Amino acid sequence: MEAEVAIVGAGAAGGILALALARRGIRVVVLESGPRHDLAQRPEYVRRYVRGENPWATPLASLDRYTVGGPVPYHLGGKRARGVGGSTLHWEGYALRLHANDFRLKSLYGIADDWPISYQDLEGYYAEAERMLGVAGVADEPWAAPRSAAFPLPPFPFSYSDGLFTRACQPLGIALHHLPQARNSVAYAGRPQCRACGTCQVCPTGAKASVDLTHVPQAEATGNAQVLTEATVLRLELDRSGRVSAAVYARPDKLQQRLNARVFVLAGGAVENARLLLLSASREFPGGLANRSGLVGKFFMSHPSIEVSGRAREKVYPYRIGFSTAMSRQFAIERDRATRGAFLLEFLNSAGPTPDRIAVASGQWGEPLRTRVREEFGHWLGIRVYAEQLPDRVNAISLNLNVRDHFGSPAPHIHYIVGKYERRALDEAKEVAGKILAAIGLTDVRSTGLSFAAHQIGTHRMGADPGTSVVDVDLKAHDVPNLYLVGSGCFVTASASPPTLTIAALAVRAAQHIAARLRPASSGESTAHPAG
Amino acid sequence: MRLTRRSLILGVAAALGFDPSAVPRSPGGRADAAPALSRSQLEDLVAFAEILVGDGPLSPAERDYLVEHIERRTTQGGGYYLELYRTSVGLLERLAGTRFSGLDFSRRLALITHNRLSSSTVRPEETLGRFPREVREVRTRAVPDLIGGYYASPAGWAVVGYSAFPGTCGDLARYTSSER
Ligand SMILES: Cc1cc2nc3c(=O)[nH]c(=O)nc-3n(C[C@H](O)[C@H](O)[C@H](O)COP(=O)(O)OP(=O)(O)OC[C@H]3O[C@@H](n4cnc5c(N)ncnc54)[C@H](O)[C@@H]3O)c2cc1C
Ligand code: SF4
Repeated sequence: MEAEVAIVGAGAAGGILALALARRGIRVVVLESGPRHDLAQRPEYVRRYVRGENPWATPLASLDRYTVGGPVPYHLGGKRARGVGGSTLHWEGYALRLHANDFRLKSLYGIADDWPISYQDLEGYYAEAERMLGVAGVADEPWAAPRSAAFPLPPFPFSYSDGLFTRACQPLGIALHHLPQARNSVAYAGRPQCRACGTCQVCPTGAKASVDLTHVPQAEATGNAQVLTEATVLRLELDRSGRVSAAVYARPDKLQQRLNARVFVLAGGAVENARLLLLSASREFPGGLANRSGLVGKFFMSHPSIEVSGRAREKVYPYRIGFSTAMSRQFAIERDRATRGAFLLEFLNSAGPTPDRIAVASGQWGEPLRTRVREEFGHWLGIRVYAEQLPDRVNAISLNLNVRDHFGSPAPHIHYIVGKYERRALDEAKEVAGKILAAIGLTDVRSTGLSFAAHQIGTHRMGADPGTSVVDVDLKAHDVPNLYLVGSGCFVTASASPPTLTIAALAVRAAQHIAARLRPASSGESTAHPAG
Repeated sequence: MRLTRRSLILGVAAALGFDPSAVPRSPGGRADAAPALSRSQLEDLVAFAEILVGDGPLSPAERDYLVEHIERRTTQGGGYYLELYRTSVGLLERLAGTRFSGLDFSRRLALITHNRLSSSTVRPEETLGRFPREVREVRTRAVPDLIGGYYASPAGWAVVGYSAFPGTCGDLARYTSSER
């Protein structure tokens, strides 16, 4: 089989890239390890989800095997999804641009590294990504970097509990603003308005953007893109000139096949991209493909997180919607980040126990149980914190030769630590959140232990210097002329904000570069954009 | 009253004199091959849960939620729940000396209270009567399971005044006000 561009993975990065290339008339084949998940299946998925099951779980479970090491275990369970749409099937849909300062930690604060591109370089691509995903928001964040276009959709109004948070934050000098989201506040691009079903990690209506709905069908409709499902890429092969010549993939029956292409793009997520490069070691690249720097898999990052909550005297009406509507990036931006780590506050619309949890924990039965549930439910407010994690070379993905997946490939091993910088930021965040909750008059304020966002970042960082980075500013591997690595693996630093809108913007930008290379004469799109 | 298609078929099958547990499940339905509870075992469990979760007889819809919960559980946990439920029914029958669901509400309530079967915790010094292993199992496992199943269902959300809750679509503006 042949393609002009072979893409590994039909998630956020791969799906967006496929559409951008296919629209430019480039023949694309996407190899996706997971199945298609039809929108018609969603009501059944929702039923499973509310019962506590994960409907996105990989049918070939051993494909998701991994091991952890280091002082802090970073677990991947429930933090990725395989299938057309990738982890956007499962994501919350919070679609934030990074701030201009996030790209320049070294020059502004003397820590970590600068990105080889600036916010300004990405701004137009952010606008394009917001338009394609349908991001609802309003430019009310005082610290946000300048935008060339308004949000394509109006914001979701603040919730009842956001009102309580706003009143508490004002005297404390903390500004709360709308949380931009790739979710339809009004019908958009053929998808319906959000209907408050409250199970956003499994959206039954399609109101939440996921690339299986927003990009992949449109790419296929051009006639230039083909998606092969349940096709897991096992390794990439090189020709004598040092270019990738084929992606070797297998279906569940383990029969191996080859896909030839002029250009190859890895879009399997930060962990799988690194793993695939390491699995593609050869005589020329004994330490892993595109790994002359020795940095493939290194500088793995996430967003260390805690949740601080407290009990209100009155009811606060939680669990009426599946997402948060307010946030504050004040502490992610307005500070000397050399000494004080950035963190983001998400004001939760659903906190505290659900009726069944209250019932089971009460130890009561009969009428007292019923009364207890009725009285106890709906009093909890919470704030979730995401902290920026600095890049640290010891945080790394490697191969565990003793644990293998369905195809006999070694599983990824994650070595992970959380440093003092991040822990101090979380301590400060806990204090800030505690003050806000106290100002509302909450009692019984408590904090969860450390957890981690489902954001995997780093592992094939971008940079101008092939000695200190894996891909260049166009996301092309320094060491292999026809190999591109997309996704948050390219990020140089993590910021405190979720990564996917930046993944999308970078994918649109990389597509433009690849198209210009393959079609030097006409790198513009051949079909019109969808109606916004 | 909310009827599931399966409960309807079961009802018809029973009326025609078939063993309802022999009614095959639909393709894609739960556990085609898994052994199921008999109808009378299901009824005993629902009758037990009825005592636990509220202050009086449940509506048919509420009973149906419990049936769905129990049926789903029996397909999970590699037979663990099936075993747990059978143990529970066996214990209830031995204590009642007859089919538990055949007793009226007040007699069931008296039996459960007398045998302390409603309490989900067991104190270390507590003596558990003639069937200590079964009583411990039922109190520490089956009681929280049945209570949790009921309060996770629409019936549980109705207790807190919610007619829409995670998993049901509705009015988008509702979350902005203090209406439930
Ligand atoms: C529960 C949850 C909530 C989240 N919420 C947010 C949020 O609110 N905001 C935000 O910005 N981000 C969020 N994220 C993260 C977001 O989903 C990811 O950042 C994003 O999807 C990553 O895009 P990607 O294309 O790099 O990887 P993915 O979207 O994960 O796609 C990778 C695809 O590649 C496929 N693949 C991997 N290896 C192979 C192989 N060897 N062969 C073939 N195919 C392969 C996988 O099956 C998968 O479909 C969330 C994630 C989760 C799980
Ligand atoms: S609340 Fe979430 S799950 Fe429901 S329609 Fe809106 S985005 Fe989808």
